[in-house]
Amino acid sequence: MRDYQEFIDEILVDEKTIERRVSELGAQVSQDYTGQELLVVCLLRGGMTFTADLTRFLTIPHTLDCMSLSSYGTGHYSSSGNVRVNLDLMTNIEGLNVLLVEDIVDSGRTLAHVLQMLKTREPKSLKVCVLLDKKYRREVPVEVDYVGFDVPDKYVFGYGIDIDEHYRNLRFIASADMQKYKKMD
Amino acid sequence: MQDYTEILAEILIDEKTLQERIRELAAEISRDYQDKDLVLVCILRGGIVFLVDLMRHISVPHRLDFMAVASYGSGTRQSGGSVRLSLDLKADIRDRDVLLVEDIVDSGNTIAYVLEFLQTRQPASLKVCTLLDKPERRETPVPVDYSGFTIPNKFVFGYGLDLDEYYRNLPFVAVVDLKKYHPPSE
Repeated sequence: MRDYQEFIDEILVDEKTIERRVSELGAQVSQDYTGQELLVVCLLRGGMTFTADLTRFLTIPHTLDCMSLSSYGTGHYSSSGNVRVNLDLMTNIEGLNVLLVEDIVDSGRTLAHVLQMLKTREPKSLKVCVLLDKKYRREVPVEVDYVGFDVPDKYVFGYGIDIDEHYRNLRFIASADMQKYKKMD
Repeated sequence: MQDYTEILAEILIDEKTLQERIRELAAEISRDYQDKDLVLVCILRGGIVFLVDLMRHISVPHRLDFMAVASYGSGTRQSGGSVRLSLDLKADIRDRDVLLVEDIVDSGNTIAYVLEFLQTRQPASLKVCTLLDKPERRETPVPVDYSGFTIPNKFVFGYGLDLDEYYRNLPFVAVVDLKKYHPPSE
């Protein structure tokens, strides 16, 4: 694996800014669900870091569940095509307040699909919290209730988001110069 | 849900001690896995918080993968019964250096099963890192290579560990006062 310094384009969101924003989101979610209970659903694997940090700032009673998705057909699930559930929720969400936590939304296809699927289970409410929103890439309208940061249409990595399965543990979010990255192969 | 302060017997490991120990573990792992092909494998869901904090301090290249297990019969993973895989690893671990990251090892039954199962895929190495080790409860011997804290046989919660699914987000590990705790009614 290469050092990210060799192909980094720029740091889009630094560690301190992420931490501050995640705490704000945690406070906002806690406020919005005051007096209620919440099921936080982490979408693996990218959403894991954000979920772990976000829940630290929640002051309301909540439980945690995870889902793992992929798309039928090609490898990357931002493509069109249907969504395959690799790991479904353990929790029966009927009558519960559900908050889906995702690292990034771009085309919106995966998210739209999951929302549709979960709605058939009749939760009391169903909302979405994403750390990064790549609005310019949207192909399907999806209502996102909580957004950490809007990001440009660049290849991003760090803070849970990988490039070829690496760099998830970086504490900041950066964009990659993919030409430089590919040249090194 | 009761506030945790109502059911808290004692804080077993405070936030600062936890974070310091996690940094030490990560440093140790980073030293041991230099020039290796490290895959951190997290067993859902308890291990998530520990994994996220641990990996932030790991300085060597690594991948991340997840497994979920359940027992046949009832929904939760229990000691004794046979274990079934509800989420398998995404990537092949053959010839890779696998480090299983767990929140707690108590009976050892689940982890022993997972180790046996992963070993059949012929990883280059297979080790275990647990935040908490409760050796008094052990029913199946498990080699624990990295252990955060050895703890007594008490009912603990917080920092990823739940009490009936709640309280995972507390930044410390605490002992529950079972006389004061009322499980949520279904």
